[in-house]
Amino acid sequence: MSRTDDTKLIERCRAGDREAFEALLAAYERPVFNAAYRMLNSRDDAQDVTQTVFLKVFENFDKYDPSRRFFSWIYRITLNESINWLGKTNRLRPLETEAADEGKGPDEQFDSDQARQSVQAALMTISSDYRAVVVLKHFLGCSYTEISQVLEISEKKVKSRLYSARQQLKGALAKTR
Amino acid sequence: MAIEQKYQDLINADIDGEISAADRTELEAFLADSAEGRALRDDLSSLCRALDSADEETPPVQMRHVIMNSIPGSRATESSPGFFQVLFAAPALRYALSFAAGVFLALSIVNSGQVSEHAFDDVTGLVGTVAEPVDTTLASSVSVDELDVAGIVSLRSAGTLLILDFDLVAKDHIEIEADYADPSIWFNGFAQLQGEGTTVSAESGRVRLGVAGKRRYAVYLHNQGGREATVRLRFLANGQVVHETSLEYRPGQ
Repeated sequence: MSRTDDTKLIERCRAGDREAFEALLAAYERPVFNAAYRMLNSRDDAQDVTQTVFLKVFENFDKYDPSRRFFSWIYRITLNESINWLGKTNRLRPLETEAADEGKGPDEQFDSDQARQSVQAALMTISSDYRAVVVLKHFLGCSYTEISQVLEISEKKVKSRLYSARQQLKGALAKTR
Repeated sequence: MAIEQKYQDLINADIDGEISAADRTELEAFLADSAEGRALRDDLSSLCRALDSADEETPPVQMRHVIMNSIPGSRATESSPGFFQVLFAAPALRYALSFAAGVFLALSIVNSGQVSEHAFDDVTGLVGTVAEPVDTTLASSVSVDELDVAGIVSLRSAGTLLILDFDLVAKDHIEIEADYADPSIWFNGFAQLQGEGTTVSAESGRVRLGVAGKRRYAVYLHNQGGREATVRLRFLANGQVVHETSLEYRPGQ
């Protein structure tokens, strides 16, 4: 969604327009849910965090700074809520069992599931700060500049965290093979 | 020999598509002479491909309804999530605690005249067992995605207990009828995890629920003998059936 679209919707949300809020929700529920899922490794927890994020957004429109992009605000809330959630529950869950993908043979399905589970399991071994950078880069498709806006850190630090995170992920994945 | 930090940064920037033309020329010159550099680039490229190719998760079908119903000013306003989320964080515990709550709710809400004494004897008998988490097995699950009601209903088993787990959002008041023709199955309790105000009544072979807004609740059935069972569900809005489905339990599945 373009910056102009977001700004218009937020103005309407501030005026109490529920349809505008639903449009924002429709645009951002998927990336927010995916970011939370990658941070938490649980669909149930990701759903709870997503609900909390949108509730916070709704309650804090007045605090939103229009000079910032909306995505950087909502992604920041998502990552903070996910990290808070991890702190509260202080646990790592085994991967959830999921329904088999349609259209894949048993071997292909097994390989695909294994690869997906290995990646997610490796993600859960790195610190939440590093995981946040990886989630923003690889699952939300943010650029270095956008990541620095979301996390409010310098681009230099983004690069350094991303590089360290990848090194750690490489090590974690190597152990699973 | 360790790769200079500068080239490590350039390799990462190249993989991320954030390298300038001048830097790329410099990186290519470096890689032409460095097997270690090429190995690092290949390793990182492979890792990034694995990350980028991970499937996107589809949010639960009912989530948007749930969020719209939970924001202030909604018809069915929910309290801020937090307490229940933490309390019920472990799935097994969710059932244990909700079942404990269900025993009390069942005794207070259900019209006892419609429920057999036998069923209530069993509910009372189970009070002592709910302090321990109930380990459930998912038997079947269905999604409901109608204008009037959306969400997921699952059928779980735990020994001779069958648990109908409703996670739904209803736009307005709806009725749900759960029919189980087998006379060896009887209503055994009711629990409400999120929200309040769900009404429930039970009679032989049928449980009837009335709900509005976002609701998470469970209906407990005693399945004498643990035989296979089918529960037929009908969702009614303004007396009209808006959705019909069924859930199956097969022992040893």
